[in-house]
Amino acid sequence: MEKLMNILMEIDDSIDYENEKALIDGRLLDSFGVITLVSELEDAYDIEIEASEMIPDNFNSAEAIYKMVLRLQEN
Amino acid sequence: MTYESLVYGFVFLPLCLAAYQIVPQRWRRRVLLVFSYLFFWLISRNLIVYLLGTTVFVHCIGIWLEWLKSEQKTELASADRSEKKKIKGIYQQKSRRVLAFGVLALLGILAYLKYYNFFVSNVTGILGNVLPFTLEQKKILMPIGISFYTLQAIGYMADVYWGKIRAEGKLEKTALFLAFFPQIMEGPICRYSDTSDTLYEGRPLNMDNLTSGYIRIFWGLFKKKVIADRLAIAVGMIFSNYTSYSGVVIAAGAIAYTIQLYMEFSGCMDIIIGSGELFGIRLPENFRQPFCAQSAAEFWRRWHISLGTWFKTYIFYPVSMSSPVKKWNQYGRKHLGKYITMLGTSAIALFPVWICNGLWHGARWSYIFYGMYYFTLILLGIAVEPVRDRILNTFHISDQSVWLKFVRIAKTWVIIFAGELFFRADGLRAGISMFRSIFTDFDLNALTDGSLFNLGLGRADMIAIAVGCVVVAVVGSVKERGTDVRKSLFRRPVFVRWALCYALMLAVIVVSAYGDGYQTIDMIYAGF
Repeated sequence: MEKLMNILMEIDDSIDYENEKALIDGRLLDSFGVITLVSELEDAYDIEIEASEMIPDNFNSAEAIYKMVLRLQEN
Repeated sequence: MTYESLVYGFVFLPLCLAAYQIVPQRWRRRVLLVFSYLFFWLISRNLIVYLLGTTVFVHCIGIWLEWLKSEQKTELASADRSEKKKIKGIYQQKSRRVLAFGVLALLGILAYLKYYNFFVSNVTGILGNVLPFTLEQKKILMPIGISFYTLQAIGYMADVYWGKIRAEGKLEKTALFLAFFPQIMEGPICRYSDTSDTLYEGRPLNMDNLTSGYIRIFWGLFKKKVIADRLAIAVGMIFSNYTSYSGVVIAAGAIAYTIQLYMEFSGCMDIIIGSGELFGIRLPENFRQPFCAQSAAEFWRRWHISLGTWFKTYIFYPVSMSSPVKKWNQYGRKHLGKYITMLGTSAIALFPVWICNGLWHGARWSYIFYGMYYFTLILLGIAVEPVRDRILNTFHISDQSVWLKFVRIAKTWVIIFAGELFFRADGLRAGISMFRSIFTDFDLNALTDGSLFNLGLGRADMIAIAVGCVVVAVVGSVKERGTDVRKSLFRRPVFVRWALCYALMLAVIVVSAYGDGYQTIDMIYAGF
């Protein structure tokens, strides 16, 4: 989780990732932010994120992102 | 029959509502389907075969994809760890081929119907003397709504492929999803997961939905009939005879057309979404106060939202996450830095989105230009972001300051007005000529010499437009603050509530642009 927090802070350090639950729905992360995040996640966790994963539920909070990462690592 | 016609409001809708309510709940979606096909047949006659063919085809592709998924599951259940990856790869490839077949077939039909003559005229114009054969233009009839239901169908197949939804097993349900009459002509372009629940539920009519739906329908009629149809007269005169007008009138024409288009399209959306609400069916919103946008990119998140969302989901993300773009990202971040990499990725992912946006509107160079116009501006917005932030920091200007917000909104308005000028102009050449005249022939006397009153609109029309725009702007600003206008209305005392409802109905009946001196104005987006 700490690794993920560091990645998120690099993208935008003004967001309170620990408490924020609407990163996408609240428009805190835009499409380009998400794409950057996806590239960083793929590199850091050695996973492949497909376009089908691009739904708000997967990116609305640090916890949701982490869950997606764990799920993709299992696959 | 169109959504703002008397036949739709006073015959078709009441008949459909009555039939829907009379039959048992399990039959209600069939009633909606019958009325949807009747509606489509009344506007497109024999061209309904395209819709029927698309429905059966998309339904079969969905089931095929679902079948492949269940086959994969069965094989995975009995496979060991080393075989699982191989099986997944094989089935992913099979599914991808099925999806590609489905998408290409639908796009092929759309391309032939919509772009064949455009292609022929351009190829003949450029290579006419070189080609060993001649390409003839054809008289092609295009069913209304094909651009909308095709995108919806592609979205459905892609969502089944991605596993976001299960393929629909009942043909009548797929058919209703694609043909639901309120949305078939102008959208909104719905995702299956957005509408399927309420669409198939067949919940009984209730007073709250009927009241709420009809208020929304009258609100849409107000925007369309009181404002848009009046503005259409002046806009038509300016754009048809643009060489006769000075730059200032052309600029006024661009502003008037933008307002007309918004009132017309968002008004029709109000009628469409309101029609759905009568049956308790929730259709997605297509507009969210677009003139409050502070940038071109934000404008497109507020204007024709369902089209933007479709492009983002089915073009922008798949392109951004395709293997070549990912490789570019990796290479760029190592060797070129974040800024250049992001700019490159944005350009690669945004280009197909905006070329498709332009082409989706029609087979004209001015539409392609319109798409490229926004592509350039949005990319430019991303490119100058660091510079803009640095300037704001240097001069200690808060990003949230009110005056900066107004400057940004004003800048966005100029971008929107210029874009719509090209969009409405009769061809790209006319658009360039009109745009140029704003700078070369800008004579302010046109504002005071009465030119603006010789555009087919009388003083009463001008007052109706001005008052109408103020009312829409006030309602829009209330919505922008997060208030649900209709819910707020329902909380008022009965007297206030009914007075406002009657005022709206009376305004539509008394002030609408119909009768002598007015023409029936076609719905603009139904033509796309």
